[in-house]
Parts: sequence; structure tokens; C-alpha cells
Amino acid sequence: MLLLPLLAAIALIAIPGESTVERGIALGSSVVTAVLAVVVVWGRHEVDVPWIRSLGVRWHFGVDGISAALVLLTALLTVAVVAHTLSGPIPKGGTGSTFLGCILLVEAGALATFMARDAILFFIAFEVVLVPMWVLVRRFGDDHVPDETRADAAGRFVLFTVLGSTLMLVGILFLVHHQGTSDLTVLAERHGVGLSRPLQVAIAAILLLGLGIKVPLWPLHTWLPSAHTIAPTAGSVLLAAVLLKMGTYGIVRLAVATVPVGVAQLSPVLAMLGVVGILWGGLACLVERDLKRLIAYSSVAHMGFVALAIASGSETGLQAALFGNIAHGVVAALLFFVVGDLKEQWGSSDLHVARAALRDKAPRFGLVLVVGLAAALGLPGLVSFWGEFLALYAAWSPAPDRPVTLLRVCVVLGAVGLALAAAYALRVARIVWAGEGSDAAEGAAAEPVADARGARWAVVMTLVVVIVTLGVLPGLLLGLSDAATTGLLSGLGVSP
Amino acid sequence: MKGLAIDYAILLPALLPVAGLVLVLVADLVNPRLRRVPYAIAGLAALGSAAATVPGLGLGGGSTRETFCLTGRELAGTAPTVDGLPQVCLWQADALGGTLQLAAAVSALVCIALAWPGAHRRRPADCTREPVEAVLLLAALAGTVVVAASRDVGTWLVALELATLPVIALVALSGRRSAVAGATQLLVTSLVSFALLVLGVALWFAATGSPFLTPDAALASGGAFSAAPGAPTTVVFPSVSGGVVALATVLVVAGVGFKLSLVPFHAWTPTAYAGSSVPVATFLATVSKIAALAALLVVLRAVAALGTPALLSIALLASLSMTLGNVMALRQDDVVRLLAWSTVAQAGWVVLPLVSISALGVGASATYLLTYVVATLVAFAVVAVTVRERPGQGRSIAAYEGLWQRSPWRAGALALALTSLAGLPPGVIGLVGKITALRPVVAEGWVWLAVVAAVNAVIGVAVYLRWLRAVITAPAAAVGAPAGTAPTAAPVAVARRRPVMVAGLVLASAVLVVVSVQPDLLLRLLG
Repeated sequence: MLLLPLLAAIALIAIPGESTVERGIALGSSVVTAVLAVVVVWGRHEVDVPWIRSLGVRWHFGVDGISAALVLLTALLTVAVVAHTLSGPIPKGGTGSTFLGCILLVEAGALATFMARDAILFFIAFEVVLVPMWVLVRRFGDDHVPDETRADAAGRFVLFTVLGSTLMLVGILFLVHHQGTSDLTVLAERHGVGLSRPLQVAIAAILLLGLGIKVPLWPLHTWLPSAHTIAPTAGSVLLAAVLLKMGTYGIVRLAVATVPVGVAQLSPVLAMLGVVGILWGGLACLVERDLKRLIAYSSVAHMGFVALAIASGSETGLQAALFGNIAHGVVAALLFFVVGDLKEQWGSSDLHVARAALRDKAPRFGLVLVVGLAAALGLPGLVSFWGEFLALYAAWSPAPDRPVTLLRVCVVLGAVGLALAAAYALRVARIVWAGEGSDAAEGAAAEPVADARGARWAVVMTLVVVIVTLGVLPGLLLGLSDAATTGLLSGLGVSP
Repeated sequence: MKGLAIDYAILLPALLPVAGLVLVLVADLVNPRLRRVPYAIAGLAALGSAAATVPGLGLGGGSTRETFCLTGRELAGTAPTVDGLPQVCLWQADALGGTLQLAAAVSALVCIALAWPGAHRRRPADCTREPVEAVLLLAALAGTVVVAASRDVGTWLVALELATLPVIALVALSGRRSAVAGATQLLVTSLVSFALLVLGVALWFAATGSPFLTPDAALASGGAFSAAPGAPTTVVFPSVSGGVVALATVLVVAGVGFKLSLVPFHAWTPTAYAGSSVPVATFLATVSKIAALAALLVVLRAVAALGTPALLSIALLASLSMTLGNVMALRQDDVVRLLAWSTVAQAGWVVLPLVSISALGVGASATYLLTYVVATLVAFAVVAVTVRERPGQGRSIAAYEGLWQRSPWRAGALALALTSLAGLPPGVIGLVGKITALRPVVAEGWVWLAVVAAVNAVIGVAVYLRWLRAVITAPAAAVGAPAGTAPTAAPVAVARRRPVMVAGLVLASAVLVVVSVQPDLLLRLLG
């Protein structure tokens, strides 16, 4: 399952120029990978082959309750992204084969990250996504902006992330050195036993700092808006739906499971940063002019909820974090698909330019956008509601060793953040959907956009269906991760 | 030579280059107009040398292939009673030394392929240059091979200089005015470094009373160390001779630092690289570095037996080198200069694990060096091919724009090399190298050093991505360029391509790909 996208990606990058073969390869391999992902998740298959003996690193991949949903999300979203890309023009800047190859490489890296059962392997897989993502942003990014802006966005993305992952490597090496093994299952079973308290705090601090850049936590989020804005639609979707998840997944898998005492010690900081992220993202969204940047900031806010949930330290909190992860993945993917399409047709995504209202001229886009925004503001019945509601609930009644008062203050502030989310979501809906000020539109801006059709329509509708289904029946997802989170917190280990 | 047991098979890696050297000289004597034959001989000698190291690679951790052994009884004839002296061998090639020798020989082979002379000679006057170059290359290779296995101070010093001095001549022979400047700088620094090394060696001899760079000799000096095992880190050197050993080590580190181009001994590197021709710069960047590190490791492994506390000076050198090298490399537009500064930075990474003077640190350092050597070889080979293709402008980063479109294979090799140097996948070996290099640092608990290294990894990524960006971006000029220039340039490029050069590139890239897919091969070689 992992090899397939990798091989396909190599084949695609090696094929020069445009051809129909590459489209077949990309679509076929992503679909087969998705099917395989379902099979693997269903059957809980595992691979365990020694790789670098002298470092004790093994090719050890497996799925458990924590990663199952993320694996499915990644594999299915890649199919969506590939289908979406193939039904439209390939972004300028290079051949289609390179573009598709990079997408599949990102998929391979992300899947490997979620399935890795070895800390060092986790790090290597974590790094795999960087270069293809950099190529996507750098070469295929928005061609309406000057080259320097693209270089800046791509460079910032890659440098921030490399700093984060190298710090994470230092943390991992400390952990592995002191525990004598890099097997994540064993590390989780030991549950930090044998490490002194200051050491746990130090390791947790390094790991959280490194992974916090990836999540991203406030104040380390500055790479995110520019990268999102510049990246092509496929890139934005993968970035939001897959790459950001690697950060929170890493926190749960690497930090919470292995150095619980250290994380508990640092949880107030984590909670505060999460809340600041919620408020900061919400406020930024209220004044942001660029639609794509706005959604990127809303990602910061949503990841703030996830951080808050992790900080609570309870089982519900962890569930909420995982659920919020998936929810944000689906919702952000939907919004970026829609906004990316709009930007493609509009040429920019400046909210201050008056344009024809979507409700009247492009009802399909309008519908999907409204669903996405409603999900983003956490409307009950849609998927995000459960993630955010559970996060706030968990933080209100945290695990016994956490500072209750501080977390409750955070909850109150987080609730304010929810109100902010409603405000900005409605602002966007007002401007773009209802077309406030659209009478002033003139020239090309007054032209209605072509509505979604064909494969793209199918892709976004599927996401809408997923949002509603999981919103109505959250138990589907919670049941998947239930046993795993209990095991992870109690230190019994997660049996695959 | 009574009393010496000599096993010639073990000496073959060093003997073959020397034999090749003599052959070249003889051939030159017979027919001074030969131009390719010397290189052919040199290539064969390097190949043979590489092959001769192979039997030594399979050895396990402890065993070595030894020769030139002195036994106590036979030594007794010339010296006072040394019956208690254990058997000492002047030549010990274990798995680590053998691997370094192999790497040196392969790198030299690639350099020879890159320097392969063209068919047409413009200036018939200097038709004797090729044999001289071949001789110098082989001499330096022989020195490198010997220094990795030498275990006594005399051989060690002579071999190290044998590995260095011919390179100076090679740089000077590149002919241009800037080459002479580079060679002069190189000469001056290597003289200073030689002085430091001699001083260090003299102190070693004074402290240990033994001309052998072996753990036993070091232990002989430091009886006080075992006497105070309780406080190994707080009391630094409990005995005078222990202190002298430490001073000797520091001096040796400084002396070798010149050759490894560590900050603050790095100043010659960019001048010498930029002044010399690309193959010679490649040689400087690979074989010379192997020689320097091999020399350093010989000493440090001897010292390691003492359990000396990790050296702050090495930590400082490493962090300074990394930072300065990376920052300066960020500002370069000439790829050779960029690679020169990147060498400085990578040298910092190479000595980084040595802060823990232990088997773990030594192995990690050698691993990182090999990683660096392989990746740099590929990068230089691509540069060499490109320079041949576009004389005069192949050395600026701008010349690499659109390389992906023009020749995807070469661009792929370069991309792999650059990502390996940066430590990002798909250059997995670079990533593994970084992990290995950081492990001893973390094991010793040097948090600040690990964080400095992490920050430097980021700057390093910025450096290499600057170049990589040019490789993968489509040149804006290609669309709007005058139609006349492109078609005329292409046939010239095809005509000038050298099969031997490309073979060198292919060899280096193949090694890089193999170790990237299966890093275990490289790591297990070093035990």
C-alpha cells in the first residue's frame, strides 16, 4: 500500500511532458491505494522488516485506532485531489506528471507517517513530504503573484517545518537514548517509566516545540497563511487536511504516549497557546481580505481547539482531539476546494472586490460554500461541532492532575472564539454567497463564475455528505478510536 | 627488516597506487607525449586499490588485518627490555579504516574520470601535464590509504603530508592566476598545520613515551585515570602526563582542522576550490577530507581508551563551522564556492559526533563523512559535466536553471545529491547521516549543541534549496530567448560530452542511490 504511491510517483516524475498515461497512473494508483487503505484498516495488517540494523530502525508499519481514521482520510482525500486536478487545467509552472507525482509523494509520506510504529521511521516519513510540498508551492503556486512571493512562501514553509522536525529529531533521540528502544509500541507501554521528571519535561518541551510548528500553534503559525495562499488548490487541500494532522498526530503519538508526566507539566502552556491561537485566528479572520488566507487563519483557530483538547489530558480530550483532526481535515479540504476553484476563475480571492453573488449565479458553489462555512463555525449536526464541543467539554473537566481553573478560563475564551468563528463565517457568507455589494460589481468581476460540474462537483458533494454523516452520527468515528485512547492514556499500550 | 612480519596482500591498497605511480613515470619516460595512458593507469590503480580493500570490509568489530608487526622478542634486540610490551603492529586496517580506504579509492577513481583529458590539445607546449597530474593524484591517494591504517607517529605524519602536498601542486597546476593564489594559501596553511601536528605528536611522545598511536600507549600514560574513576568529568586531568595527552589531542585536532577546513582554520577553502579546476576541487573536497578525518580518527581512537571527557573545543569548532559555513554558503552564486562553504559547514557536522570520544562517536563521524563524500562527489561530477558543456558559465547557479528539462537524469542526480547534503528525503542517506551524527551528541547530553545543529540543519536546507530551486524551475528565458542561440548551443553540448566523465558521474550516483535505498549497507561497513 505504501509502495504503490511511491512507485507511481517516481514513475510520474520520470515521465516527461503531458500524456494520458500519467493521468491513468495517478488516478489508478490513488484509487488502488485507497482501497488498500480500507483493507489494511479493516484487517489491521502489519509490516515489520529490519531496515537499518545498526540504528535499530525497522520498517514497521501498522494501523491502530488512533491512526486508522487519519489513514483513511489521507488515502480518500488523495483520490479526491487527484480527481479534482485531472478535471481541470494543471497549474502553470511545470508538467502535469511532476505535479501529480508530487501529490502522490506527499500521500506516500503522510501514510507512512501515520502508520509508522518506530520513532525514527516516523521522523523519516515526516520529512518525506517536505520536498514535494515545496515543489508544489514553489513551482505550481499561484501565478498571479510575483516570483519572489512564491519563493518566500515556499521557503518559509520548508524552513519552518525543517526546524520543527529537526527539533523533533533531537527530542526523539533523547527519548530513544534514554529508553533504549525506538519502537513506539514499547515506548507507549513504558509510558515514561524510568525517566526522571525534569527529563520528561525537557523531552516533552522539545517535542512539543518541534511539532507545534507543524500543527501550527500560535506564535509559530506564520508560515501557514502564506503557504496556503500561494499553493495550488491541490496543495492547499493536502496541506490543510493531511500535513497539519501530522503535527497533532505526532503530539498524541510521540509526546502524550511516551512522556505523559512531561506533557502534563506543560499542558497549561499548551492550553494557553491553543486558546490564543483560537482568538488570534478568529480575529484575523474578521479583517482578512484574502479568502484563502482567511481559511488558513481559521485553520489556526481550529487547531487551537485540538491543542486545548490535548491539554486537557482526559480520555474525552484525546477523543476530541482526534475527532477535531478529522473534522478539520474534511471541512478545510472542502473549503479549499471551493475557494481554490473560485480563485482560479476570479483570478484573485480579494474579498473587497465586488463580485456577482454566488447564490444567484452559481448555486452549487453557493451551497457547498455555505455548508463548509457552517461546519467551520461549528453548527450542531455538522462534523466540526463534535470536535469543538468535546474539546471544550474535556477542558472543562480535565484529568485530575491538570490545573482546573486555568483550563476553565481557557474554555471560556475558547467559547468566545466560537462566537468569533460564527462572526467571520457569516461575514464571508454575506459577501460571497449573498453578494453584499454585488450591485457595485463591474467588468469582469460582474461575470458569474461557471458553476461546479462533473468530477469536481462529485468531489465536493462527497465531502459534504461526509460532513453531514459524521455530524449526525459521530459514533462512527469515536468508536474507532475509543479503545485506543484508553490504552494510550493508561499506558497499557495500543494493541494493533 | 628483520623482526618485521610483512603481509603484502594487506598492503595492496597502498601498494597499488604507488605501483601505478611508478608505471606512469616509466611510461612518461618512454613516451612523453602520452596523454590518456597515464590516466588509464591511474584509474586502474585506483580501481585495484579499491578492490584490494574489499577483503578487509567483512571483518567484525574487533578483528583487524595487521602487518608490520613488531613482537616483543624481536624488538628486544634493539631496545632495552620491553618484554612486557604487547605485540604492536604498525599497520592495522580494521573495518572502519578499510571502509575509509575504499571510499578514498572510489572517490579518486571518480576524480580521475572527471579529469579525463579531452581529445584535442590546444597548447602542445605543456603536453607533459597529464602524467604529472596522474602521479600527483596517485601519490595523494596512497597517502590517504596509508594514513587510515597507520598506527605509529612517523608513518602517520608522513602519510598525512603525502596526502596533502601533492594536492597543493595539483591546485597550482590548474594554471590560472587565481589557482596560484589558492595554492599559496593552501601551502601556507598546511605548513602551519604541519607544525601544529608535529608539536602535538611530540607532546604525545613526551606524555606516553611510545611512538605508537594505540590505546595501549595512551593507557600507559594515564595510570591516574584509572586511579580516579569516581570523578571522570569534574576533575579533568588528574595527572600531568594525562594533561599533556589532552594538549596533544587538542593540537592534533587543530592541525587536522586545517585540512578538514574547520572554522577558524577554513580560510583557504573557498579560494583554493574556486581557483582550481573542478576535478581538483572534487579531489580536495573528497579524498583530502577522508585523509584528514582518517588521521584524526586514528588519534582519537587511541585517546578514546582513556575515557577522556568530551572536548568543549570540538563542540565549539563544530558549531562555529556549521554556522559560518552555512551562512556564507547562502550568499554564494558560484556553485564551486557554494560547495566550498558547504564543505566548511559539513566539516562541522563531521566532527560534531566526536564530542563524545567513544566508539559511537567515531563511527558516527565516519558515517557522516562518507555520506558527505558520496553526495559531494555527485554534486561535483554534475558541475564538472556542466562546465564542460557550457564553458565559462557552468559555475553560476543561473546556469542550472531548467536543467530538469534539458537533461532529467543529470538533474535527478544533482537533486538527490543536494537533498542528501541537506538531509531531506529523497536523499535518505543524508537524513540517516544526520540522525547518526546527532546520536552521540544527545547521548552525551549536549543539549545546546544539538539545538545549534538543528538550527544549522535549517540554514543548510535553505542553502541547498536555493540551488535546487534553480534546477527544477523552468527558465523564463527558455521561452523568450532568441531562437538562434539555443539550437546552436545544443550540438556543441552533445559533441563535448565525454563518455568517461559521464561514467564517473554514473558510478558516483549509483553509489548514492544504493546507499539511499539501503543505508544499512553503509552503516554496517563501519561496524
